[in-house]
Amino acid sequence: MNRRNFFSGAATAVAAASVSRVALAALPEPATQASADTAPPLHPPTGRPYNPVVTLNGWTAPWRMNAGVKEFHLVAEPVVREVAPGFMVNMWGYNGQSPGPTIEVVEGDRVRIFVTNRLPEHTTIHWHGQRLPNGMDGVGGLNQPAIPAGKTFVYEFEARRPGTFMYHPHADEMVQMAMGMMGLWITHPKGQHPQIAKVQRDYAFLLNAFDVEPGSMTPKVNTMLDHNIWCWNSRVFPAISPLVARQGDRVRIRVGNLTMTNHPIHIHGHEFEVTGTDGGPVPKSARWPEVTTDVAVGQMRQIDFIADELGDWALHCHKSHHTMGAMGHDVPTMIGVDHRGLVGKIQKIVPDYMVMGERGMADMGAMEMPLPDNTFPMMTGTGQFGPVEMGGMFTSFKVRADQPAGDYRDPGDFKHPAGTVAYEWQGTPAATPRPARTDAPGTAPGAANARKPPTSGHQH
Amino acid sequence: MSALQNLAVLCGAALLAGCASVSPDGLRGDVAALTAGRTSVVPQAALPATDPAARAQAQQSIESWLAQPLTQDAAVRIALLNNPGLQARLAALGVSDAERVQAITLPNPHLSLGRFTNSHEREIERTLAFSLLDLLTMPWRAARENERLQIATLQAAQDVVQLAADTRRAWLRAVAAEQLAAAHERMADAADAGTELARRMVRVGNWSRLQLAREQAVLQEARSQLARARLAANTEREQLNRRLGVWGLHAQYRLATPLPPLPASPLPADGIEATALRERLDVQAARRQLDTQATRQGWSRAGAVFDDIGLAYSRNTSTDRDGGHRDTTRGWELELPLPLFDWGGAARTRAQAEVEQAAAQLQDTAVRARSEVRSAWLTYRTALDLARQQKSEVVPLRQFIADETTLRYNGMLASVWDMLAEARNSTQAVANAIEAQRDFWLAETDLQLALTGTSPGALQGLPPGAATTTKSQGH
Repeated sequence: MNRRNFFSGAATAVAAASVSRVALAALPEPATQASADTAPPLHPPTGRPYNPVVTLNGWTAPWRMNAGVKEFHLVAEPVVREVAPGFMVNMWGYNGQSPGPTIEVVEGDRVRIFVTNRLPEHTTIHWHGQRLPNGMDGVGGLNQPAIPAGKTFVYEFEARRPGTFMYHPHADEMVQMAMGMMGLWITHPKGQHPQIAKVQRDYAFLLNAFDVEPGSMTPKVNTMLDHNIWCWNSRVFPAISPLVARQGDRVRIRVGNLTMTNHPIHIHGHEFEVTGTDGGPVPKSARWPEVTTDVAVGQMRQIDFIADELGDWALHCHKSHHTMGAMGHDVPTMIGVDHRGLVGKIQKIVPDYMVMGERGMADMGAMEMPLPDNTFPMMTGTGQFGPVEMGGMFTSFKVRADQPAGDYRDPGDFKHPAGTVAYEWQGTPAATPRPARTDAPGTAPGAANARKPPTSGHQH
Repeated sequence: MSALQNLAVLCGAALLAGCASVSPDGLRGDVAALTAGRTSVVPQAALPATDPAARAQAQQSIESWLAQPLTQDAAVRIALLNNPGLQARLAALGVSDAERVQAITLPNPHLSLGRFTNSHEREIERTLAFSLLDLLTMPWRAARENERLQIATLQAAQDVVQLAADTRRAWLRAVAAEQLAAAHERMADAADAGTELARRMVRVGNWSRLQLAREQAVLQEARSQLARARLAANTEREQLNRRLGVWGLHAQYRLATPLPPLPASPLPADGIEATALRERLDVQAARRQLDTQATRQGWSRAGAVFDDIGLAYSRNTSTDRDGGHRDTTRGWELELPLPLFDWGGAARTRAQAEVEQAAAQLQDTAVRARSEVRSAWLTYRTALDLARQQKSEVVPLRQFIADETTLRYNGMLASVWDMLAEARNSTQAVANAIEAQRDFWLAETDLQLALTGTSPGALQGLPPGAATTTKSQGH
């Protein structure tokens, strides 16, 4: 865990080449983050108190109080994000990372945000879901002139209602969002809110997706739907931090979707209620239990539940391709294809050839085969029982009886009580399964035979 | 009798001047000397001997060379010893030599005997006649015939050099064609594996017949290319067989592979024109031709006016049949044509024109030699660059692409068919590299021929590149 980059005064200012020192003197120091790890919650050192969130593989932006106004400084800039160890992607983000730091404020706070543009093109920031003056809404051209490269603009408004929000550009947004420009905004309620429960664990992340050609580093910004890197906070499983809780904790998970498709977010072992959207808290009368909530494009969902079941529970997007790393979308299905007698022939021409896909794609989870440089494998996560065969929008939710309050460290693998793990049946051996190979369509083992029995020639 | 003595002396001098004798080895030694260092890869190749023992030994060498994988060096040696065309050519040179000797041997004097009788006399005429002009022009003719023979020798040497170059070209083509056929076999194997796998895909319902048909089309194309490559290998080998003059069991040799590696540094272009003018046999022959014509011009001046000068010595005896009195008449007789009509002007003009022709031909040969050597050097240099590019850039690139495609196959990012298509592409790049290497050595042969031997004929330049890459479905 990484805890740094708080305000240290103007003396240690990181001077921006394009912003003069004189100008910087009036600006809050822009804090930057070099690590893609989950930072511990930032308990408010100044301003109104609140219960901070934990940004999954992210961090919260520090601020300074200036005559009662909370001042933040976001720097839009190119970054290299560690999407998984060894897999680096050129992105555009804020303050050293994509997504940018989470902005946490309290209902009623006056907020002033300095936005410095260090991108090669103009940008704006739209404060998604906020009530604010029209001129602060951040749609380039409509509400404001775009922030030119090298300039700093100031946004100022009051955080009027509590809830889960996000920020992202509204200038050349197709490119800037495809490059990873986004961040979370949490407005905590002032005091006790009738629709907002107090929770012990409050997690937040954004769903984002990139199309990175295997062996390259920069996302293809023109891809509309055929992405291959499915992320939570620009991070993929097995590199996404697990969510942890002490048994009995009330847990809140806030999910925002800035991809171009919907994601059914699903948790195992528990049921939850959607307690809020980016429109605000859901009235208690409108909540119903779920184990999956679909987060549509451009939406935020806040789910609450009690972590009462011990164990390591999967938490993932239920679109199965989204729990996979890079894969070739046009690779033909090889299941059931008999390779006998051909392997040697192909190896004579391609010496490194190995049969894959004949039995399905699980081989990919088990085989560690060399891949092109800087390519995130399709599925490499492992658990205590072997390959998890996932990669992408997947992580685990770990409930432990003894997880100390405020401790977000990974407690390791769950120790299952004796007799509570599925086991191999030791009775009479079952028939040896037949290979997946089929001889002809419709003649798979056990397939119904809808054909007429063959006749033995014409015998008129 | 003093006159007869004088004649005898003259004849003896003429014989010495003519020094007419046939070369015992049919001038093969001269040809060998001229071709030294000019027969492609072989510095000094043996030529077919006239001596039966040497022939038998040569045959043994040929057998032993053919028993080994045939190198270009051995191919040139065999062709020079065994090519029937060359043997005919060298025999023709022997014929020329004999003709020369015949031409400059003094004609036999004519002895005419006559016995005439009339009523009272019996007359016996003895005349020894001798063509004087032949004798007078002997030194010129001897020189001219020598020149002519030298030209014939130079031409025979050019034929030897050409045969050596042709054999080397045929060897290079045959070896390259054999390697290309092997490459096409690998490409066909890759297509075959892809099609068989596609067929199995269809059998289990993973692919449509359309997708199979696309792979089958790739296979059919690969097979037709393979058939062409095999035919080419056979044709090129037969071309080589013809140069080597072998058939039957002798034609069952194996070719040494691969082609020789590319040289580290190219021949410099400095002084190549001077070298060509100094070394080339056709330039030397043209120069000789000019010399010969110039010599002939001098001779023709004498010969033109006095078409033939006859010298005769006669000793006539007349015997009185009744009295038995013998009267002997001795005397010289000189027969001279009278230059009344033909004053030799036409012959002189012809000789003059022939000199001019020879001079112009020398110039033409020199200009062509200069141009050919420049052109051959440029082709050589470009062929070397192309061959190096193909070998050290294109082949590694294609291999890299194939390797990267395998990595993508590992990650299920690319299909088996993508991998096989890239294997075909990288094999095609290897095939193109073989062709480029062959073209370089062919260009090198042309350059060597243009530099030291003779005209390489119509310089081919380089064939257009035909590097096509194939794609497969299942991308």
